[in-house]
Amino acid sequence: MNYDRPELLDRLAGGYVLGTLRGGARRRFERLIAQRPAARAAVAAWEQRMAPLAQSVPPVAPPARVWAAIDARTAARAADRPGAARSAVGRRGWPAWLGPALGVAFGAVLTVGVVRLEPGLLMSLERLAQREQALPQSYVGLLTDAQNQPTLLVSSTRHGTRVTVKFLRPVAVPAGQVIQVWALPKDGAPIPLGVAPPATPPGSTQFALAATSDALLSNVPRLAVSFEPAPVTAAPATAPVFVLSGFCVKLW
Amino acid sequence: MHDSQRLQADLARVALGDRAAFQRVYQATSAHLFGVAMRMLNRRDLAEDVLQESFVNVWHHAGGYQAAAGQPMTWLISIVRNKCLDLLRAIGRRPTESLDARDDDDDAPARDIADERPSPLQMLGQASEALHIRACMDALDASHRQCLALAYYHGMSHAEVAAHLRAPLGSVKTWVRRGLDKLKACLDRAGALT
Repeated sequence: MNYDRPELLDRLAGGYVLGTLRGGARRRFERLIAQRPAARAAVAAWEQRMAPLAQSVPPVAPPARVWAAIDARTAARAADRPGAARSAVGRRGWPAWLGPALGVAFGAVLTVGVVRLEPGLLMSLERLAQREQALPQSYVGLLTDAQNQPTLLVSSTRHGTRVTVKFLRPVAVPAGQVIQVWALPKDGAPIPLGVAPPATPPGSTQFALAATSDALLSNVPRLAVSFEPAPVTAAPATAPVFVLSGFCVKLW
Repeated sequence: MHDSQRLQADLARVALGDRAAFQRVYQATSAHLFGVAMRMLNRRDLAEDVLQESFVNVWHHAGGYQAAAGQPMTWLISIVRNKCLDLLRAIGRRPTESLDARDDDDDAPARDIADERPSPLQMLGQASEALHIRACMDALDASHRQCLALAYYHGMSHAEVAAHLRAPLGSVKTWVRRGLDKLKACLDRAGALT
C-alpha cells in the first residue's frame, strides 16, 4: 500500500480514530504513526474533529478503588524504581503477593526444566560448542504479561547481534509508541536493548543489538518490555513502566 | 466542560512528577472518561481497568502531551478510546446495544449502564447541537450517521455495525467511509475545528 498518498493516509487516520480500522491494518497504521509525522498529524486532526462527539456521553463517576489502584501503582513506581518490573502485576485486584509468588513458581519450573536438560547438555557440550554457529539460540527470555501469560519469546545466538522476538500473544502497542526491550541486570539500572517491530502471533520480528548478546546479557537474569514514544538509547532518567517481564536464561 | 487551561497546566506539572496535580487531573476528568469507556465497553469491570491503565499511562507520559497539538481533553479521550479499542480487539467481544430503542434486554447480565442512558444517535444529536455542527451532521445520510455513531460510541467494527443494522458489510464500509469524508469536508469548511 502506498502510504504517501495524502488522501489514503487521511482515510486510514479517520478509520483509526473512529475505531473501524481493525486487526492487522490497525497495527500497521500504528507503526506508521510512530514513524511518520504526516500520519501523526492526520490522526491528531481527526482526534480533534471527533473528540467533541464524546462530550455528550453522560459522565459516570468511577468507584474510589480505581483511583486507589492508580495511586498505588504510580506512587510505588516513584518511590521504588528497581521494583518497577513487578508493579504491573497488581492489576485486576489480584493479591499483591500473587505476582511474585507466580514468578517464583515459574522460576522453579524453569530451573527444574534446565536441570533436567543439563546432563544431556554437559555430555555433549564440546560437540555442541563446535557446532555453535549452527545452534539455534543461546539466550532465551520468556516475557509474560501482568496476568503471567507468556507473551513474547526473546532469543539470540551467543555471538550474534540480532535478537529474534516471537509473539506468542497479541501485544497492544499504544498509538505512537514502540515496543522497547530492556535488559534488567542483577545490579544497576535497566539497559535499553532495542525496539522490537510489532508482529501478529505467531509471527516473529528481529532487531539489532549494539553488541553481541554474550557481552550484553551474560549478567542479565531478567528482560522486560515497556511502551515508549521513541526508541530509548541511553539509561533512562525516569523508571520505565514495564508491561511485560520475565526470566532470561543462557542455554549455553 | 473542564477548564482547559488549568488542565493543561496541571498536565505540565504531572510531567514533572507532581502528584497533587495528577490527582486534580483525575478528579476533573475521570467521570467523563469513565463514561466514555463504559459506553464503549458496556462492562464496568473492563471500564475500570481501562481507566486505571489510562491514568497510569498519563502519569508516565504526561510529557508527551506537550508535543501533541490539541486540547488536553482530546489527548485524554484518545488515550482512553485507544485502550478501549485495544481491549475490544483483544477479547473479541461484541458490544450490543440498540441504536434507537431498548429492545435488546436479553443480555442484561452484561449490563451495568443505567437504563436512562441516551442512545448513540441521541448523543450524536446532543454533541452536534453543543458544537454547532448540526448542519454537518444533518447533511449526512441517516445510514452514514448511524454507522458513525455506532462505531464511535460503541467501538463497533464494520462487521459489528453490519450485523447490528442487518446491512451488507460492503455497504457499511462504504457508509462509514463516505460519512467520514463528508463530515471532514463539512467541518473543515465550517471552521468548526477551531
